Amino acid sequence: MGSRAIGRAGTRMSPATLRRHAPFALSLVAGLALWEIVGRNSSPAFMVPLSATLVRLYELARSGELMGQLASSAILFTTGFALALAIGMPAGLLLVRLRVVRVALEPYIVVLYATPMVALIPFILSMMGFGFAPKVLVVFLFAVFPILYNTVEGARSIRPELIEVARSFRSSESALWREVLVPYTLAFTMTGVRQAIGRALVGMVAAEFFLSSTGLGQLIMGASQNFDTAGVFAAILIIWVLGVGLTRVGFVLERRFARWRP
Amino acid sequence: MSDAVAAPIALASSRRAGATGPRLVAGLAILALWEATVRAFAPAYVAKPSGILLAIPKVIVDPAFLAAAASTLNAVAQGLAIAVVVGTLLGLLIGRSDIADRALRHYVNGFNALPMIVILPLVTLWFGYTSAARLAITVFAALFSVVVNVADGARAVPREYIEVARSFRAPRRAMLVEIVLPAATPYLLAGVRLGVGRALIGAVVAEFFIGIGGLGYFILFNSRTFRHDEAFVGVLLLAAFGVGADALINWSTRRFLPWYRRDEITD
Repeated sequence: MGSRAIGRAGTRMSPATLRRHAPFALSLVAGLALWEIVGRNSSPAFMVPLSATLVRLYELARSGELMGQLASSAILFTTGFALALAIGMPAGLLLVRLRVVRVALEPYIVVLYATPMVALIPFILSMMGFGFAPKVLVVFLFAVFPILYNTVEGARSIRPELIEVARSFRSSESALWREVLVPYTLAFTMTGVRQAIGRALVGMVAAEFFLSSTGLGQLIMGASQNFDTAGVFAAILIIWVLGVGLTRVGFVLERRFARWRP
Repeated sequence: MSDAVAAPIALASSRRAGATGPRLVAGLAILALWEATVRAFAPAYVAKPSGILLAIPKVIVDPAFLAAAASTLNAVAQGLAIAVVVGTLLGLLIGRSDIADRALRHYVNGFNALPMIVILPLVTLWFGYTSAARLAITVFAALFSVVVNVADGARAVPREYIEVARSFRAPRRAMLVEIVLPAATPYLLAGVRLGVGRALIGAVVAEFFIGIGGLGYFILFNSRTFRHDEAFVGVLLLAAFGVGADALINWSTRRFLPWYRRDEITD
């Protein structure tokens, strides 16, 4: 992300664009320089410079360890998130029309949305052990409630006029779903999806830390147990890039489906 | 299905008195389903509603539990306080200064998108396996949602307010304190609302990881020794704290900032 901005500011640009990007480019260079300088002047057990982090990252990539762990994390994230989507979205949409059920379940969904799901990890550990399934469950639990909560919030805010107009034009139930309910609530669901992406990432790392150690979580844990601070920084850098990228995807999705919302 | 069409999907449905009945039924159904599933399929130590209910009176007078709860909630409160002060200052700076915005925005967004628990191993390197490490995690977890929201709020101050203040020759500091800060307060509260949840997660995860006393450790210890019912009381308290903080912030937004519509902000 950073190198692109530097490259852009470095090539020929109109003065206006240059002025717009110069502060960020400068602050990026300053930030990286600060990292390097602080890293070089502190004990390698506490902090390593940028250069050492990049060297370690290169080593990890060349040995194939990085790709292997990244793939393992990606499978965990995707499985858990896909399950959350596959269950949360239809359930939320169904609640759009089952008004009584929705009203009855709302407070419980709100409570589960606000509950820190990490607290359930010890229970999952002692009931399900160290396999792949408990970790998927953790990612699922982190991701499903934002999706459900926001979909229900959307369902709650559908203006009755929208439905009345559709009805007075003799819309069939299926057309009402297709043309009004689904497009309307999807905008809210996508806000949930964006929140869920961030939470699922936390769930993924938490599962990899506290259940069987695999993936990027293991990369961090292993490095910190071996006092390989450069390895810790390298792994954090990768998760950082992943987090920023996925958050961006979430925002794009949200904007795509929620264009009509102010 | 077609009956439901006749009943308009009401905006304020949740406030209606008629909601209590279905909610009670749903709650009891969930508890019954949980109890039945655990009794039928799970080993005896797995938490179930009846067991939790019996455990509550014992646990909430247990000094170890009370000390653990106080320790965790204290850390979360301290972390939030630091995050609010630092986050508000940074947010105002980013929201009101163009240069600061361009220079710092990407850092703030970047840190905001980083799952903060990955820095746990680093924080233990820096602070050791101590409660200072837990505090650092809660600050880090809550800080950036405050910064992002306050910056949004400071940016969204109506131009006319600033112009009026300028034409009365208000000094810059007065403008920040008396115009920008109040205008950004609802955004600050929205940031704090997000931050509470994140700080709670941060504190619990830190206790799992570091093994210092607190609710997270209480839950971990009791579930390892197969006292799931007791451990679950800790989860209930955490959930209550999360929901309570949420409700308190929503209530104070409505009570003290009635000119402000809550749903204008998403995180």
